[in-house]
Amino acid sequence: MLDEAFLPFAEIVRHLCLVGEPISDASAGVSSVIEECSVELPVELDVTRDADGRLQIGSAPPLYYVDTTFRPSFHRLKLRARLGGDDDGG
Amino acid sequence: MAGENAAWQLEELVDSLVVELDKTRETLAVKAINKPLSYTVKDLALELNIFPSYDGDQVKFVTAQPGQQGASKVSIQLGSITDQQVRATTKAPTGKQDLNIDQIDVDTRTKRQLRKLGVKSVEDLQQIQKKNVDLEKVSESTIDYKRLANQIQKSRRNETPPRVRSVSLSRNENQAPQLVLRGENLAMDRSFKPVAVINETLAEVTACNDRELTVALGAEHQLAQENELVLTFDPFAVMKINVRI
Repeated sequence: MLDEAFLPFAEIVRHLCLVGEPISDASAGVSSVIEECSVELPVELDVTRDADGRLQIGSAPPLYYVDTTFRPSFHRLKLRARLGGDDDGG
Repeated sequence: MAGENAAWQLEELVDSLVVELDKTRETLAVKAINKPLSYTVKDLALELNIFPSYDGDQVKFVTAQPGQQGASKVSIQLGSITDQQVRATTKAPTGKQDLNIDQIDVDTRTKRQLRKLGVKSVEDLQQIQKKNVDLEKVSESTIDYKRLANQIQKSRRNETPPRVRSVSLSRNENQAPQLVLRGENLAMDRSFKPVAVINETLAEVTACNDRELTVALGAEHQLAQENELVLTFDPFAVMKINVRI
C-alpha cells in the first residue's frame, strides 16, 4: 500500500504536464504558447508492492521546508513536456 | 512517514515507471479531446539514491529513505520512441501457442540460465535451435537439454490434453469387434503409435488420429460389464477409462 502522503507516480507526472494556458495580449493582438517545458525537482519516493507483488511507485515533492533531524532522501526527477500530440510517439 | 521501501530489480522498476507513464499518456490523451493545447511527456529521467545488493544471483536495489546516508546513485532515462522503433527493437509478444519458460516444469536454475541467454519462451529456444546454435557450448551451462525438450513437450501437451467424448463398441469390415473412441486431441504425436490396454491385456490400436482412435478387441480381453481401458496417446498423455458395456 502506498503511503497516503505520496501520489502515484503517474499523478505527479500528469501534474507536471499541466503547463498552462496561452499567454495572450488582446490589445496587441498576439498570443504565445509554451512549446516545451523542462522541470527538474527533488522528489521523495515510496516504493512498495501491491497485493499481487507488483511494484508501486509513490512520489511526492519535498514535504517539509525546514531542516529536520532525519533528512529525507531526495531523488531527482527531470521531465520534459512538449506541446502537441503523438507526432513522435511521445 | 512511509514504511520500508521494497527491494526491486531494475527491470521491475522500469516496468512500473512505464506503466505509470502510460497511465499519464492516456489521461492526457483524453484531456486533449476537449483541450487542444495539451502537453505530452517527451522524456523523463530519474536519479535515484539507492542501496544495491547482490545475492550471488540477482542485483536488487532498495530506494534510500529519510535519514539513510551513503546511498549510491542510479540514473534512469526514459525517452519517447516511435511505434516503428518499438516494432524494430521489440520482439513480438508471446503468441497463444507459445509457452513461457515459467510455464515449463523445470528447475529454477535452468530457468535462470535460460533467461541469462535471453530465452523467455519456447519460441525463443526454437529460434536458436533453427540457427543451429549449440546452446550447451555457448552457455557453458549444465542445462539438461534433453530433459528440457521433454518438459516442453509435456507442458505443450498439458495445454492440449486429450478429451474423450464417446466410446462405442462396433464391428470392423471383417466383423471383428472393436472399440471406437471419439474426442479431441487424441493421437497428436505422429511419431508415436498409441498403446491400449484393456483389462490388463494389450490391445492393438488399428487406426488413430487426433479425433478418433480404434482399438481391436479379441477374446483375450475378456470383456465384462465393467472394463478398464488404459490408453497411452503419447509419452505425456495417459488416460484410464472405465468402459461399461
